[in-house]
Amino acid sequence: MPETKIRDISGGSTSEADLPSVTAVVWPARAERSESPLAQGLRRFRRSATALVGVAIVVALVLVSLFADVLAPRSPIASDQRHTFERPSWDSPLGTDQLGRDMLSRVIHGTRISLAVGVSSVLLALFVGVPFGMIAGFYGGRVDTLVMRAMDLILAFPIYLLAIILMVMFTPTAGLIGTIKVTAAIAIVRIPIYARLVRGSVLSIKEKEYIEACRALGVRDHWILFRHVLPNCLAPIIVTTTLGIATSIIVEATLSFLGLGTQPPTPSWGWDLKANVAFIQANAWLSLFPGLAIFVTVLGFNLFGDGLRDALDPRLK
Amino acid sequence: MRTYILKRVIEIVPTVLMITFVVFVMMRSVPGDPVVPLLGDAYTEEDAIKVRQAYGLDKPVLVQYVIWLGKLVQGDWGTSILSGRPVLQDVLVRLPVTLELIVLSMVVALVIAIPAGIIGALRQNTWADYTATSVAMIGVSIPEFFIGVLLLLLFSIGLGGWLPSSGWVYLPGTCPMMVCGVSLWGNVQHVLMPALALGVGRAAILTRLLRTSMLEVIRTEYVTTARAKGLAERPVVLKHALKNALVPTVTVMGLQVGFLIGGAIVVETLFAMPGLGTFGIDAIIGRDYQQVQGFALVTAFAFVVINLVVDLTYTFLDPRIRYA
Repeated sequence: MPETKIRDISGGSTSEADLPSVTAVVWPARAERSESPLAQGLRRFRRSATALVGVAIVVALVLVSLFADVLAPRSPIASDQRHTFERPSWDSPLGTDQLGRDMLSRVIHGTRISLAVGVSSVLLALFVGVPFGMIAGFYGGRVDTLVMRAMDLILAFPIYLLAIILMVMFTPTAGLIGTIKVTAAIAIVRIPIYARLVRGSVLSIKEKEYIEACRALGVRDHWILFRHVLPNCLAPIIVTTTLGIATSIIVEATLSFLGLGTQPPTPSWGWDLKANVAFIQANAWLSLFPGLAIFVTVLGFNLFGDGLRDALDPRLK
Repeated sequence: MRTYILKRVIEIVPTVLMITFVVFVMMRSVPGDPVVPLLGDAYTEEDAIKVRQAYGLDKPVLVQYVIWLGKLVQGDWGTSILSGRPVLQDVLVRLPVTLELIVLSMVVALVIAIPAGIIGALRQNTWADYTATSVAMIGVSIPEFFIGVLLLLLFSIGLGGWLPSSGWVYLPGTCPMMVCGVSLWGNVQHVLMPALALGVGRAAILTRLLRTSMLEVIRTEYVTTARAKGLAERPVVLKHALKNALVPTVTVMGLQVGFLIGGAIVVETLFAMPGLGTFGIDAIIGRDYQQVQGFALVTAFAFVVINLVVDLTYTFLDPRIRYA
């Protein structure tokens, strides 16, 4: 608090007496400044136990996917016809599948596909959708109509119908190329989500006084967009992205389950689950692990995203 | 209002046309020749040309679409290249299965979500609320097919085959063919697990939403007023609060339809049900052009109509919302 000093009253109203003397105003030191919204958000985030559990799960999964080669006891694709359908044991903790492949190694390596597709499809959608939304919202008029009509075209589709047909068009394959195809298919159906979200935020932000001030000062459009408009729509973008990763992981697993994801031998949880369900009568435990892996991963991102939403934008709660 | 509804109903046509057209073009850009599976590996180019001509596949895509549309207007949905059966007949056989699945899964979702959402909001930060929100969080994070697998493990395998793991028995009166398995009890047994698998995830999403919007509504002044004038808790919650809290919930239910279609495909695949979902995915993967068009037509129509119904529900739930 700035120091206050009663002024000598020489005329004027008595209420003036309560006002701090101009000379006595002390600007708060930097350290005493009120917290930035980001710092406040982080503080709220750290207080939420569930959000921290989410972060822990996500970090653990990232580590597992990075060190999959070290962590997996065996190769995820090496089949061993002498040891098919083995029950969980010390040798293979989660058992082996119909080709004698080690289930634990497959689940560990499956983390890579799941995270890679989940994260990169959302980022791809973000990098395409956000600029579209910004341009549409900022310039309005014909540009807006054109961009948003294109987005409506995608949104007019039930998302799975579009994703499935896109995957058939791309012809699913194994390995890196196969993964990129799935990523692209999921990204395409998610672009409009960002475009609409950002357009909505931009429409309200561009009417604010500080944008008008920028214009009055003659600031260029692109500078206004990136320096003043974009940072103000970041909170909903970040929240949508984190929760979107969870959705994308489910979509990837679903496509894989239908046989339209990354093809074998590349380990993918959805595909493994489908393959193992065929033997569910005799080997019930096999179908559990890939499913549990999907569940834990999605749960991690959902908890993380929920925590971020509560922390960054309490109004969204 | 009437003009608005009329306008929206008329808008259904171009949207459905657009979706079916895009699907038409996309399917024909899938690499490979669709007549190959029909002819087998040992075919001559002349045979292939004949078959292509017979199905009009040698014409430009746009012309093919117009021909398809022209026949459709006359009630001819085309004939499957691979099975040789009329598409409309197959769609009619499979539609009741999927309709029953989707309707029941929505019933499951609402029966779980409405009480859970209300209790979560009214007893905020009690164990009841924590249970509701935690279970909902878990439900949101499990894909339908894994819920299905867990149900299979429990009811078909664990409990010694209480419920059948696959197949279908029709409800009495819905058998679309000359002969089919019909029995009420058999139908219940077959539909129970798929409806739960598809409904539980929806229930979780709706519970979370309903709880949040109930929390908001319950703090508004008109709820306080309703309580202050001495209304019992039940009408306050059910008539005053719930109705308004349902507005965002209904929006999300509408948005969920796109996911529900995917969910139906997955659940029908898992439980080997003869529904539209398995019909659609088999047609798309097998590149049966005519069947895919039939599937796209039904799906697009259902999607657009449900979105319209959702928009119209708003005016019922919140009379302040009016469409000009």
